[in-house]
Amino acid sequence: MRLRFNLLVAGFVLGLAWCQQARADQAADFQDRVAPILQRRCLSCHGPDQAHGGLSLATRDLLFSGGESGEVVLPGDADSSYLLEMITPHGGKAAMPKNADPLSAEEIATIRAWIQSGADWPEGVTLSVAQVTDTDWWSLRPLSPIDPPQVTGQVRILQQGEVTLKPLMGEHPIDRFVAEKHQELGLSFGPVADRQTLVRRLYFDLIGLPPTPDEVRRFVEDPDPAAYEKLVDTLLSSPHYGERWARHWLDVVHYGDTHGYDKDKPRPHAWPYRDYVIRSLNQGKPWSRFIEEQLAGDVLYPGTADGIEALGFISAGPWDFVGHAEVAESKTDGKIARHLDRDDMVRNAIQSFNGLTIGCAQCHNHKFDPISQEQYYQLHAVFAAVDRADKEYFREPETAERYAAYSQRQAAISAQRDELKSQIESKAGKRLAELDKQIKELRQKQPGNSDAQFGYHSAIEARDDVTKWVQIDLGSTVSPEVIFLRPAYDDFNGIGAGFGFPRRFRIEISDDPQFLTGVHLIADQQAEDLPNPGTTPQRFPIKDIAGRYVRLTATKLAPRQNDFILALAEFEVLVGQDNWARRGQVSSLDSIEAPPRWGQANLIDAVHPPTPEGDSIVLQAERDQLWQQATSPEVREQWAALARDLKEVESALAALPKPQRVYAGTVHHGSGAFAGRGAVDGEPRPIHLLHRGEVNSLGKLVEPAALEIFAGHPGRFDLPEGHSEGQRRAALAQWLSSQDNPLTWRTIANRVWQYHFGQGLAETPGDLGRQGAKPTHPRLLDFLAVQLRDGDQSLKTLHRLIVTSHTYRQASTLDDPAEPTTAQGLETDVNNRWLWRANRRKLEAEAVRDAILAVSGKLDRTMGGPAFQDFVIEKPQHSPHYQYHLHDPLDPKSHRRSVYRFIVRSQLQPFMNSLDCADPSQQVDTRGESVTPLQALAVMNNALVVAMSREFATRLEAESDDLEKQISLAFRLALGRDVTDQERQPLVEYAAQHGLPNFCRLVLNLNEFHFVD
Amino acid sequence: MPQNSPFHRPSAPRRHTTRREFLAQSGGGLGAIALAAMLGEETAANTPHKSHFAPKAKRVVQLFMAGGASHLDLWDYKPELVKRNGQESDFGEPVEAFQNGLGPWKEPTWKFRPYGESGKPLSEVVSPLGGCVDDIAFIHNMVGKTGVHSQGTLLQTTGFNLPGFPGMGSWVSYGLGSENKDLPTFVVLPDHRGFASNGAKNWDAAFLASDHTGTVIFPDRANPINDLMPHASGDYITQESEAETQAMLAQLNQRHAADRMLDGRLESRIRSYELAARMQLAAPEALEITNEPKYIRDLYGIAPDGTEWPSEINPREEADAFGRKCLIARRLLERDVRFVQIWSGNDNGFPRRNWDSHEDVERDHGPLAQGMAQGAAGLIQDLKQRGMLEDTIILWTTEFGRMPSTQGGKGRDHNPYTFTNWLCGGGIRGGMTHGESDELGYKPLDRANPTQVYDIHATILHLLGLDHTRLTVRHNGIDRRLTDVHGHVLHDILA
Repeated sequence: MRLRFNLLVAGFVLGLAWCQQARADQAADFQDRVAPILQRRCLSCHGPDQAHGGLSLATRDLLFSGGESGEVVLPGDADSSYLLEMITPHGGKAAMPKNADPLSAEEIATIRAWIQSGADWPEGVTLSVAQVTDTDWWSLRPLSPIDPPQVTGQVRILQQGEVTLKPLMGEHPIDRFVAEKHQELGLSFGPVADRQTLVRRLYFDLIGLPPTPDEVRRFVEDPDPAAYEKLVDTLLSSPHYGERWARHWLDVVHYGDTHGYDKDKPRPHAWPYRDYVIRSLNQGKPWSRFIEEQLAGDVLYPGTADGIEALGFISAGPWDFVGHAEVAESKTDGKIARHLDRDDMVRNAIQSFNGLTIGCAQCHNHKFDPISQEQYYQLHAVFAAVDRADKEYFREPETAERYAAYSQRQAAISAQRDELKSQIESKAGKRLAELDKQIKELRQKQPGNSDAQFGYHSAIEARDDVTKWVQIDLGSTVSPEVIFLRPAYDDFNGIGAGFGFPRRFRIEISDDPQFLTGVHLIADQQAEDLPNPGTTPQRFPIKDIAGRYVRLTATKLAPRQNDFILALAEFEVLVGQDNWARRGQVSSLDSIEAPPRWGQANLIDAVHPPTPEGDSIVLQAERDQLWQQATSPEVREQWAALARDLKEVESALAALPKPQRVYAGTVHHGSGAFAGRGAVDGEPRPIHLLHRGEVNSLGKLVEPAALEIFAGHPGRFDLPEGHSEGQRRAALAQWLSSQDNPLTWRTIANRVWQYHFGQGLAETPGDLGRQGAKPTHPRLLDFLAVQLRDGDQSLKTLHRLIVTSHTYRQASTLDDPAEPTTAQGLETDVNNRWLWRANRRKLEAEAVRDAILAVSGKLDRTMGGPAFQDFVIEKPQHSPHYQYHLHDPLDPKSHRRSVYRFIVRSQLQPFMNSLDCADPSQQVDTRGESVTPLQALAVMNNALVVAMSREFATRLEAESDDLEKQISLAFRLALGRDVTDQERQPLVEYAAQHGLPNFCRLVLNLNEFHFVD
Repeated sequence: MPQNSPFHRPSAPRRHTTRREFLAQSGGGLGAIALAAMLGEETAANTPHKSHFAPKAKRVVQLFMAGGASHLDLWDYKPELVKRNGQESDFGEPVEAFQNGLGPWKEPTWKFRPYGESGKPLSEVVSPLGGCVDDIAFIHNMVGKTGVHSQGTLLQTTGFNLPGFPGMGSWVSYGLGSENKDLPTFVVLPDHRGFASNGAKNWDAAFLASDHTGTVIFPDRANPINDLMPHASGDYITQESEAETQAMLAQLNQRHAADRMLDGRLESRIRSYELAARMQLAAPEALEITNEPKYIRDLYGIAPDGTEWPSEINPREEADAFGRKCLIARRLLERDVRFVQIWSGNDNGFPRRNWDSHEDVERDHGPLAQGMAQGAAGLIQDLKQRGMLEDTIILWTTEFGRMPSTQGGKGRDHNPYTFTNWLCGGGIRGGMTHGESDELGYKPLDRANPTQVYDIHATILHLLGLDHTRLTVRHNGIDRRLTDVHGHVLHDILA
């Protein structure tokens, strides 16, 4: 595949060169051989966009004018040319290209020869960075309706070992596409699998659970010719369908319940997104809406819970807590963390919905697909205002409506008030507005921490009535005049201002560090609760009491998250204007030392959140006077009425039920290092193209846009000046969900096919670009894509179409190489790419675990809600340790379906991991499938299997007291078939000798349990 | 491993007929193509692969100091810092430090003195390694990308500063395969107190097959390898039942597979149970150090089993903990494990038990460094006396170094701008230094030519006989490699 490079030949003056063949040859030589090397290897740093070291190779004049080191090319003298010296490797390493592999010997020879022969550069030729512009590729072409071919294949009928070929009956479109290929290749369809096989296949495929013995029997014995179709409909309407297929989508979007990276802290509000995916699939939600909600549900479907919860898509991937919470955006490391964060959002959007890999365009233009570096950064601009954070919303539509109505009324009253105010202001003169501005500024001073040192933090308690103290040794006995306690600020659990400030406490002073003798009470707040003071400093005057030690004793701790603490930003002890605590020593009953944020030393470091009120009180008095002068009693009455109305609506708002939270991609209203864009009303960060992906190497400022890769579906957004950040996301969402975006429909059709068959029609569902695999049945893929796009867009419709085909229903057990048609299949297509039989499926981790619980009779089928944890958390304060080996496998809370498991990024659940569950650190389009000794050990010895084997045995004993019947039931539960005569006797003997739990453990380890024919 | 365990079987379980043998015996009717297809499937990930050229080394030990170990207090002697100690620091340019902790210049926390024929000065806190300096190549101009622990750690372990990429051990396992199927190819010995930043992401196989994931061993746990033995609740499992279960399982699986002849996975799974049973014998044996002679245990600084330790961190206990991991590493290497990763220090917690000495270098680096030096020196000497050092590479690394200025008087802030790695053994030229830092240990002396993790990785792969530009895997449309698009073999440190 030869790629066309975008060689700009603007104003190439052919005229003169035309006459001279030699020159023409040289020009062609430059264009064909030299320019591509410069474009690929040099121009990203020495080109039109930037000229490192003052050197650009974009035009002849620029080349010959050289750089800061002088001339780089001496025509006719390659050996003296600095350029050649720079690119010639020594010991495998060359000075240029910087930080990259050196040019090949052939490339160097080409450049040498070109310089030697005079370094001819045709007049007017301007080079730009290499870029693929060719959009003529199967997946990028428009998608049009397609009719299934008029062919009939042959199907094998196996009866008592005899194979006969019969024409394939029926008109199923999928079979017609597949049969067409069969005819080309001399293949034929296998027979339909028997019902016992089909029922197990269909259950695992559609709902991820094994059929019960009754369900198997009912289907096998159903005389209705449409029994199969009935079963398909039953399963697709089961709520378990959504649980099964949501897991596939969660793989793709790399959903997890912790942040990953350093500390790997929990994300307690991630799960509403997971439930949204389950619910959406169960509803058969149109795919275009599913896309739109996940990128911009708040904008395109306002007032719906789905529209908010879906935004968990943007935040699904990992988040670098330290890189955001401890490093401000102004620092290089902070910039890198935020760049990587947006990169993850961009990749997630494009790879999940459009099956293209795009990350490599962050350093240079995509080498294989027509995606420029600029387009990549334009996608960054789409997400430039959002961060990953908890977002509040109302699940109940009625509450959401009331919230919207009140908010609207609030806005209306505010507008009236503003109108009135401007009238008053015009009367009162400039000073009033000035005062208002100053007061507002003082009051709006960012709450939160100005620095990373938060303060002192006690150990965490389960109850609030634990007494804690912290004290300052002032070094010598003094008589302080006032003590200030400055409350701390921490966004943890959404608390913010007043974090950890005790509800009840006392302050004492003494010369006894133990506070046993000579103790003087300075402040007593022990009789009733002090409401959270925010960050307003608490002042305690002292009259004529001396002492060396000052102690704060909390008698009722502050709530944190189902637990309680004492925390404080600053402890000030003023003697005159001098804060003696600064020179003191802190001691306390206990302390969490978590630098830089928390530590005893931070209590006296003069670092504390800013005070909200301050001088505004004085200004307020002056302002009130001005106001009085400028208003008549009528106006004042009008003003007061509006204030009353406003207060009313505000209290109505406050009376609404507490909003819920989902971890989502959203404008973040934070403080300190992790401020987000809340303070600037969600104004997007300016996004520049970054040369070589380096955050301090800024290129041009870019505008938000989607990709320019389809003819007839432009990536440009027509956004008005001053548009909101949400409009950017909405524009991307609608570009993706459009009927005119062929990749959207091909990508999801291919993914669905892959989950049904084990391999996609195109084998690389996350890369349908030039580096990906081409589809085996491109017309079938397009047919399915169009069916989905132009129909009801429900995945269920697609499932029904696929699983009712003969292609899907074939037997997998055709492997007698002596049988001629099988031999033909093996010879032509050993990997079954052309679908002449069904693929046997190895069950995924979730299906194995759910099946173990189901057959043991322990599966809790409760849907939705917070994730269950199958580990014990140790050291939750800093970097939680997720200890799976300490979990009790009999804890019933952990017996829910695997899709509800709390997914830890840094430490995958060992049992699930051994069975190749998806790694939530990366987007998983296709899971690995391994068979290893460690996997065998897990299935033999893991706590779940060992414990559930006993539960399984208990269940069998409850159903029958006859060993043969117990064994038979175990097989029917776990394998969907009865035990054979041949198997029965040895198993009876084995079970009699070693007990039913051992027998059950044996069954759960069988290949037949782990594979589906 | 208690001797009365039901899994102390006298010999490995009987071997079952393999699918290949089964087919060979069944003879007639078997198409040659089908056979070829099946044999293809047997080229499993675990068979040794071909190297690109003749290797100098066969095995790697990576010693990882979590939290950011100070080059200035251990390896990289800066007399200029002694001279300027306590003077206000001036870097001559704006510096972004992680916690803005840029106090006055701070001299090395410990005295340095020269060792060996090369006269390489080392800090007294790592003096046990003094006897090894002539085998070690120091690299003092390592640079990272950021001063964030998670990113720095991933960069050193996987070559990328974001999660989702295979660890170096995984690449080596992928490139060279296993020489001992009874043990994992890539073993991780975490700090006994817990995982470092990013946890298991540092040894993940990511997009490589999952059997290239580092297998975590906690030698002190009842199950040193996850699920090596049945969970404690399995009291119904006995030695006899286990043997019978295995036999019955194999029998039923064989019968199931006989009707599904062309599916190689079924036979693989049958064999995986045999291998698992062999691992149940091999792993405890490899991890058992009780019978190692006293002089060997002393060499590694290992205290008598059952020693009671004070609650405060102390050098003897650190030496015992690190030394045990080093000795186990040697035993694993002897048994042809390819890659062992040993961690010192866990993630950030309280009290601090890693190298992230913002507050107090002496308090935190002191015991960790003494313990590490004792164990590492023991490992080098022990491998040497067994003739194994010549084909075993030892790499000492960390996510970044620390600043030449003090933070809060006793500590130092992160320094990703320069730090130290050292390599030893397996084709490395000892007694030399490649790449200096500047006179204050702030940045590389030659800022235009630093050493990066890609170069270290490229060099190690080179010594193992692998060309880092050719060890690739196509993932999401990109031919991924350990060294991304970077990396140069450091030829001058090769013997």
